[in-house]
Amino acid sequence: MATTSESASQSTDDDLGPLERWTRGVVTDPDRRSRLYRALFYVVTVFFLVTTLFPFYWLLVLALTPNGLITGGDWSVPVPVLGEVLFPTPRGFNVAAFVEVFQQVPFHLYVFNSFVLATTTTIIVLVLASLAGYVFGRLEFPGRGVLMLAVLAISYFPPAAFLIPLFDAFLGNPITVPFLGLELFSPPRLVNTPASMIMPFSALFMPLSIFILTTFYAQIPDGLEDAARVEGTTRLGALFRVIMPLSAPGVATAAVLTFISVYNEYFFSSIMSLQNEPQQWSPLVGGILSYQTQYTTDYNLMAAASIVGVLPMLILVVVAQEKIVSGLTAGALKE
Amino acid sequence: MSTGQRTDGPTRESKRSGPLVAITRWMENLGETGFAYLLLTPVFLLLGAIALYPLLRTFELSMFQNVLADPEYVGFGNYVDLFTGEADPRFPGTTTFLPEISTSGQFPFVHVGGLMRSALAVTLVFTVVSVFFETIIGFGQALVLDQDFRGRRWVRVAIIIPWAIPIVIQGMIFYLMFHPTAGFLTDYLASWGLVAPKNTLNDPSSSLLIVTVADIWKTTAFMALLILAGLQSIDRSLYDVAKVAGANRWQQFKLITFPLVLPSLGIAILFRTIDAMRIYGLIDSVSSCTAVPSLSCMVVSTFNTNRGLASAIAFVTAGIIGIAVLGVIYQQYREGF
Repeated sequence: MATTSESASQSTDDDLGPLERWTRGVVTDPDRRSRLYRALFYVVTVFFLVTTLFPFYWLLVLALTPNGLITGGDWSVPVPVLGEVLFPTPRGFNVAAFVEVFQQVPFHLYVFNSFVLATTTTIIVLVLASLAGYVFGRLEFPGRGVLMLAVLAISYFPPAAFLIPLFDAFLGNPITVPFLGLELFSPPRLVNTPASMIMPFSALFMPLSIFILTTFYAQIPDGLEDAARVEGTTRLGALFRVIMPLSAPGVATAAVLTFISVYNEYFFSSIMSLQNEPQQWSPLVGGILSYQTQYTTDYNLMAAASIVGVLPMLILVVVAQEKIVSGLTAGALKE
Repeated sequence: MSTGQRTDGPTRESKRSGPLVAITRWMENLGETGFAYLLLTPVFLLLGAIALYPLLRTFELSMFQNVLADPEYVGFGNYVDLFTGEADPRFPGTTTFLPEISTSGQFPFVHVGGLMRSALAVTLVFTVVSVFFETIIGFGQALVLDQDFRGRRWVRVAIIIPWAIPIVIQGMIFYLMFHPTAGFLTDYLASWGLVAPKNTLNDPSSSLLIVTVADIWKTTAFMALLILAGLQSIDRSLYDVAKVAGANRWQQFKLITFPLVLPSLGIAILFRTIDAMRIYGLIDSVSSCTAVPSLSCMVVSTFNTNRGLASAIAFVTAGIIGIAVLGVIYQQYREGF
């Protein structure tokens, strides 16, 4: 709170201006100073709240305003003293937009696809990252550091650097060994199927889960694993029946972050489903973009669709904020 | 995956036959190193198929022209074309790879319009500006979240939410906010001369500005959380010592907080730089790749017509990001991996 500098006696010079007197007071009086810090703190906090939340308010305003009034464009509000102030407020209460969103395009199918893709990817990532987390966290073997760095390095390359060969392979073209020209085999045509998205998602988002699970699995005491082994469980059995359940918070963290990442992904989601149609497993991205490309003037529907699409993430953040915070920092700072 | 362990256990001790049991027994008898590599196999198979193979193959494709119809080996020809400007006419719109160098020889040597058309310049400008502001604002948010106050939990939720929303919805929000007809900000900002009054979202400099603001809005939270973790690892007793020594708040910040949070800050900046250089989805949903041609944008918009050239751009992008990745690896290595 207050510093140890002695609160000097107030200089009561009457010829000082009010601002100067106030500044001098703040500089010398610890009480006033901490009140100033307090006030500044609240101003800054409110500023951050407004800037992060205002865009969502704007979506709500647009969704509730009938479309005809949106294009009119005057968003000023009369305020008693200041006159007309630019501040958007809903022009009406058109809840029907939230129903229309599902009638215009099958938006629920897009969201359903997103959920299927995100859930499947999360399960695959949890299983594979558990194996790797167990190995990196609990076993000593030559090459451990190098392999961890390899996982790390691969995960940072841009998806664009993987796109072209993956797209070719998912179209069903033969896989050729780079630089040798040797054709290995022709994969099945995977574009427009969940596999064409789940595979890249798993590879892209697995490294973060590996790092989270490595940290958690390393903390389980050896004694617990040994006890399970004495009971007759295999090493893998001990991993999935003892270590994984005991690391439930870490597993949940990895699951939440993977789910969010897949649900929010854009690059492969928009490319691997060729026509962005729900029958081709196009996720949320396709649903939102179809409003932008097909119903180019239905601004209220674009906003309503965005609100519907954002709700699952909103709920997840409120429920799992601790997990998100710890997972993000663990992945980056490796504490 | 884990079918191996289901068959054994005390109850089935007697039935030790069949392939599954044989596999289980073989796995149990593996040494620690062998077992480690066995468990890592699926992970590295996936990473190899989805990341390593495509990366190498991209490099190979970048040495060919006319890949789809009649592949012709051109060595580094695509890269030469890219850096000499020969390839520029093959890009959509008026996009170039490098910024045009103005012939007048006057400062600043490139004109702004040329800069906005260049994929390399746009990506770097976007990265530097967005990461800069994210660092400053993120630091501010972290300092707020580091305080003890009522409702801290909810302030933190509010700050994280933008980070957790889908890129396409982030794009849609800013599309609607700055749309010339629907948006409420466009007229206002246009009267200040900040954005173009008409066709705002197709105007290169206006849309680059909007995309940058949108990115700052969404990803500052990530920066804030990493810096907050750094702040909270600072030993609080250092501040008590500082107070006893008579340091004021600014001195405490300058001499304790800032130097101690600097390592986390560095990591956070590297992570964000790597991520910002991959920008694609936000541009595609707010504006278009012809208005804001980032490097990833160029790959996506050319790969259907010109695999070889697109591969060259993709590999250059990977190379540029690789430099930042080396920074992260060095950092992790120093911390003793």
